[in-house]
Amino acid sequence: MFSVLPPPPRYPTVGYPGQPGGGPLIETNNTLTHPTGPEHQLVVGEGTYVLREDLHLATPPPHPSEAPVHNPNPLATTPSPPSAGTKLSVVVIAPRQQSYQRLYRLDTSASTRSQVPPSIQESPHETNSQASDAGSHSANGVAPSPMDGVHAPAFGEGNPLLSLVNGKDVKDPLKRRKPKSNIVKSNSSFVSRVIPHEALSKRLQDHSPNGLYAFANVNRALQWLDLSSPTKEEHLTKILFTKAHAICHDVNQTTKGPTHIDVIMGFSTGDIIWYEPMSQKYVRINKNGVINGTAVSDIRWLPNSENLFLAAHMDGSLIVYDKEKEDALFVAEDQAPAENVAPNEKERKVSLTVKKSVNSKNQKTNPVAYWKVSNSKINAFAFSPDCRHIAVVSEDGSFRIIDFLKEQLLHLYTSYYGGMMCVCWSPDGRYIVTGGQDDLVSIWALEDSMLVARCQGHNSWVTAVAFDPWRCDERNYRIGSVGEDCRLLLWDFSVGMLHRPRAASVRQQRNSVTSATLKVQNSRTNGSTSRLRSNSNLTAASLDEEEIVHPVEPRARTAILPPVMAKKVDEHPLCWLGFEEDCILTSCANGHIRTWDRPKEAAGSDDDEPSTTSASVSASAPASSA
Amino acid sequence: MASFFGRFKGNGPASPASSSTPAKKDPHLPQPTPLEKLLADAGPIRGDGSDKFFGFENFGSTCYCNSIIQCLYYSVPFREQVINFPSRSPPEALERPATGPLPRLNTDISPLANGLNSSVSPKGTTALASPNAASPRGKPTTTPGAVTNPQGTKPEDNKDSPEYKKKMAMAAGPVLTMDYENSQAYGMSESLFTSLKDIFEAVIAHRSRIGVVSPNKFLEILRRENEMFRTPMHQDAHEFLNLLLNEVVENVEQFSKQRVTEIADSDSKSDSNPLSVTSTQTASGPDRTSAISMTGHNTGWVHELFEGTLTSETRCLTCENTSQRDEAFLDLSVDLDQHSSVTSCLRKFSEEEMLCERNKFHCDNCGGLQEAEKRMKIKRLPKILALHLKRFKYTEDLQRLQKLFHRVVYPYYLRLFNTTDDAEDPDRLYELYAVVVHIGGGPYHGHYVSIIKTPDRGWLLFDDEMVEPVDKAYVRNFFGGENVLACAYVLFYQETTLEAMQKEQEAEDVAAAKQATEVHQEPLSASLPKQNGFTNGHPLQHATTPVAENEDQFASLDHAATAPPLSHPSHHPLESIVTSIPILNPKKSNLQSKTDKAQRAKEKKEQKAAQKELEEQTRQKRKEMEIKRRENYKKQEEDMRAALTASKLSAKLDEDRRRKEAGLPPAPEDDDLFSVHVDEKEKEKDKDKHHKDKENGTSKGGGLSRFRPSSMSIRHKPKFWTTKDKEKHDSAMDAGDQEPPLPTTPLPHTPGVETEGTTPIATPDKPEKEKKNRFSLGRKKSTFHL
Repeated sequence: MFSVLPPPPRYPTVGYPGQPGGGPLIETNNTLTHPTGPEHQLVVGEGTYVLREDLHLATPPPHPSEAPVHNPNPLATTPSPPSAGTKLSVVVIAPRQQSYQRLYRLDTSASTRSQVPPSIQESPHETNSQASDAGSHSANGVAPSPMDGVHAPAFGEGNPLLSLVNGKDVKDPLKRRKPKSNIVKSNSSFVSRVIPHEALSKRLQDHSPNGLYAFANVNRALQWLDLSSPTKEEHLTKILFTKAHAICHDVNQTTKGPTHIDVIMGFSTGDIIWYEPMSQKYVRINKNGVINGTAVSDIRWLPNSENLFLAAHMDGSLIVYDKEKEDALFVAEDQAPAENVAPNEKERKVSLTVKKSVNSKNQKTNPVAYWKVSNSKINAFAFSPDCRHIAVVSEDGSFRIIDFLKEQLLHLYTSYYGGMMCVCWSPDGRYIVTGGQDDLVSIWALEDSMLVARCQGHNSWVTAVAFDPWRCDERNYRIGSVGEDCRLLLWDFSVGMLHRPRAASVRQQRNSVTSATLKVQNSRTNGSTSRLRSNSNLTAASLDEEEIVHPVEPRARTAILPPVMAKKVDEHPLCWLGFEEDCILTSCANGHIRTWDRPKEAAGSDDDEPSTTSASVSASAPASSA
Repeated sequence: MASFFGRFKGNGPASPASSSTPAKKDPHLPQPTPLEKLLADAGPIRGDGSDKFFGFENFGSTCYCNSIIQCLYYSVPFREQVINFPSRSPPEALERPATGPLPRLNTDISPLANGLNSSVSPKGTTALASPNAASPRGKPTTTPGAVTNPQGTKPEDNKDSPEYKKKMAMAAGPVLTMDYENSQAYGMSESLFTSLKDIFEAVIAHRSRIGVVSPNKFLEILRRENEMFRTPMHQDAHEFLNLLLNEVVENVEQFSKQRVTEIADSDSKSDSNPLSVTSTQTASGPDRTSAISMTGHNTGWVHELFEGTLTSETRCLTCENTSQRDEAFLDLSVDLDQHSSVTSCLRKFSEEEMLCERNKFHCDNCGGLQEAEKRMKIKRLPKILALHLKRFKYTEDLQRLQKLFHRVVYPYYLRLFNTTDDAEDPDRLYELYAVVVHIGGGPYHGHYVSIIKTPDRGWLLFDDEMVEPVDKAYVRNFFGGENVLACAYVLFYQETTLEAMQKEQEAEDVAAAKQATEVHQEPLSASLPKQNGFTNGHPLQHATTPVAENEDQFASLDHAATAPPLSHPSHHPLESIVTSIPILNPKKSNLQSKTDKAQRAKEKKEQKAAQKELEEQTRQKRKEMEIKRRENYKKQEEDMRAALTASKLSAKLDEDRRRKEAGLPPAPEDDDLFSVHVDEKEKEKDKDKHHKDKENGTSKGGGLSRFRPSSMSIRHKPKFWTTKDKEKHDSAMDAGDQEPPLPTTPLPHTPGVETEGTTPIATPDKPEKEKKNRFSLGRKKSTFHL
């Protein structure tokens, strides 16, 4: 997970190198258990979440070519390949309803939470709007953020070379293009074995369009699961890779359909696979790392794009690939014509190095665009709901907001200390939440470009954060986070009700608007800013450096937010978290996927209860940990 | 740059030891070790010892000592202080191993060659200078300290095994046998400090960058004066660290005390040592006070580096009276939870704790034992934060210590959450620079190694004689966890700045990127001829189909799978890119109708204009905000400063009041020196200590009494017991612990330790207690929450 280049793997049982011993030596089956009891319940203000089930994915045995290491040297200096604990990519085939927009964009002050739309929606990681929707809602006159004023163009729209390629698909939009090679019959040395379920086609027929499909990685396997099936422990398809571990994966929400799902996976070897599970077809991209030889730490489809996806490589590169384009040995282009490129070596830290612009004249092969964000490993990134920005967090503790349409760095923040590990956007795109090795969940405001609050409560590193869109409205936000401490924490964050830090409370800010108060808490411009002097030859398009680089906030001036719920929900470090309409999903480094049912509707009144009260009275909540 | 070679090595297709140049297998040409490769580009040797990478010979279970000394050597300020105290000795004044006719020393080039040879790579030097250069590696050299070399195939014959590497390191040398001492030259009496200084001086003075130190004398002194370390048993590295730091403090203080008395005695008494004369002369203010201040300034450096201050606040639940007490510490011992982080361990350390039942608190206000709440926060942050993870826990059931394998993650950078409100620089940034790792299943056996970040060579693994460069990520292999034998035991963090951090990260990143591209190219070229069929080189295949239609792209891929490798493999893939552009471009653009184009351009223009305007607006807005924010900040800062001074003032008033009550003079102004709140108390304490030293000067030297200051951490259990309980327990523990190394129960006579936790305010009549408290603070939580 941390080293740069993967030599032959040793199959660490947990997502970190240096673990002796491998998994089991024989292929085993997934198991489904139903633990009950008070220790498997999460008590929050709105009611009690109850553990529905625990699905344990079987860790595959090492590939036969890998000699098992008996009595391994605990001090062996051979770097282990990167790996990752189980993460899920969840997809519901039924089309989403546009009410999703209404939920967050209404300009009334009343909470709309009680009118939760009946449709099933994705986790807040997924972007919510089609490009056309973004345009229509801005026509309503609602512009919560200044960026919404202009219709968000599709990525690469300005480049005719790219739009032409896409144009070919339009002639038959219903018939999705499949990858070329059959994965079951493949003789590739990359794929070891593919095990489809015996009754795969029947199970696909039985699958309700509102049911949940999930793709989950465990060790060197990737499993396709039907989480709404009564026999969910039986995978639909299991792919075993020879050496590589699928570290990250994503499902294309634009192209999904009853007969088509586009899955993209990034591997420890740097390879990427576009996989279509219904037809069992696949294509390998960045084969043997021709374009970038470092492992892929995070991968996501570009919002509303059928073909393009963004991969974060461990050397700090963000690369846009086209699933249908071929690889070509990549040589950084010196982009003279593109106006918005500032390839200045000295300014690497403060600006984005565009090694290949989306506006490049050469769009015949992959990559479509190639940006060097930093030299440090990117741990995660997330697209903003308005499809304009990416939030990128890195191992060096930096957190960047990039306007990827303009290929421009907007903001650069630094963690309190240690690397940042996860990031997500609020459903309305106003706030960004990060988690990292300082054990903190940090809330940042996009509009005010500042740190809003630090959430203290985890006992170890925070590995995943997510908003619960079903418990968010325009003033109140529910955030969930999981960490290495095996715990799930829920936070209620309300714009108006933040605890003032000591220093800030000295000041008289009673009458001011909340956002103004927040701004007041913002920081000094210390030495770090002045050290990174801006060069005069930066193009006009780039912003002032002082506006980009933000210093670390001292603890005394930052609001601290306590959790409303903290509970140990697994025996192993957790690595992923997802909110669904009826449940919370967690997964751990060891392959346990746990489903927590939301409180039954019986309570009913909980919707009226402002979450802010729970935030303010919950100072003692962290003690409730298991 | 630092770890570039190391990583390159590790990432190579072959295993690290036999990595590159496997072509020639000449037994007479030893392959460079990873460390030698790392140092291949080194320039001239520096005088500060920062480019020396010596292993330490293991004399059987002395790895605890080796690992700690290495950590201290690479604690740059510590090393500097050691070699500069009492003053920097000229190298020629010191006896050196090179002068002795030592058979194992295979570098005996005259000092004249020093300058000339310095730029030669260490490999060359050793090969040249080695007396047994003919077969330095082929034949095992029998070394007295090393494990006797068994014939036949043993694990050490495996070139990847640490045993083999250690053997090779010993054989390659140079071996510095530290069986002499220079304490006379330093003007000091022989002590652990002088022998530590001997080691540092010898390593720094040596021409070679690499080698092995045999710390004979050091161990001799250690064992002579500390019964505990006399056995060949496995010892506790943290215990040793604490002992060593305390010894150094004591040795240094004793020296300056002597110096003061000497000065006082007479100036006429000229010392035989020219060195001490100079130091006397520089210090020779006729009045004693200046001499004291001089020595006081000189001797405080261990404290300056490692010492921080903890404030323990105890609130009596009966009378609601809150008492505060400051304690100094040299390292912090923290309890561990499964699946936690160092941050959380430190936070737990400062969590409120109830003193009840057997741990009741003696309240001076209402008298007698009362229930109380206690919390400890850090008031003054140390420059070097030594964190001891309490992996060895006493289990009541088994009546002995057990190793905790909890997974405890530690970040490369750290700040402390558990500071007091009035702490100076509460957001101080620390960087991890050394990790002592314990490998083994229990506390009574196992092995210690250290992983240390060197300023310009990246992270290195020090495993006794062996020194090997490692990847930065390697440091994270020792979080612990089930079935993980090797886990971090002591972490060394040092203060740093955000700027330094960013600078270093940039440097690291550049190295990493370089390595990435390097390795990235390597397998690619290698894979081309090897892989036929499916993965046939795409650049090549691509070159043959420059204007492929979209649909054809995948077809051609399939095609390539079966096609034989095409013609000239030298065909550069770049060419294809170049040629494809002109063909593709005009065609496509011609397809566009002109009106279309114009319209699009117009649209684009409008859009751009709109965007620009918007941008401008947001920019303006942002700028305004920024300005406002800055103003606000300034104001805020002022407010804060005002508030701070106010609180300081009130704190001082409080303090004065307290002192008045206690019959002490008012608190002095803040100490300028290193902004410690070391007050009169502290100084008195020191004086007391000096007196005490005088009193039992000789007896102090020997045996376990030395230990008293060392290890509050592990002894914390007894700390909260009432005397009666404690004595009972002591005997129980003594009985239960056949092996003395770790538990180190205090001597039954040791006063004070047990009541420390219940003594709220230092009373002047208990100076010894105070002294003890300074070191290695840990805490045992009476209510432990898992």
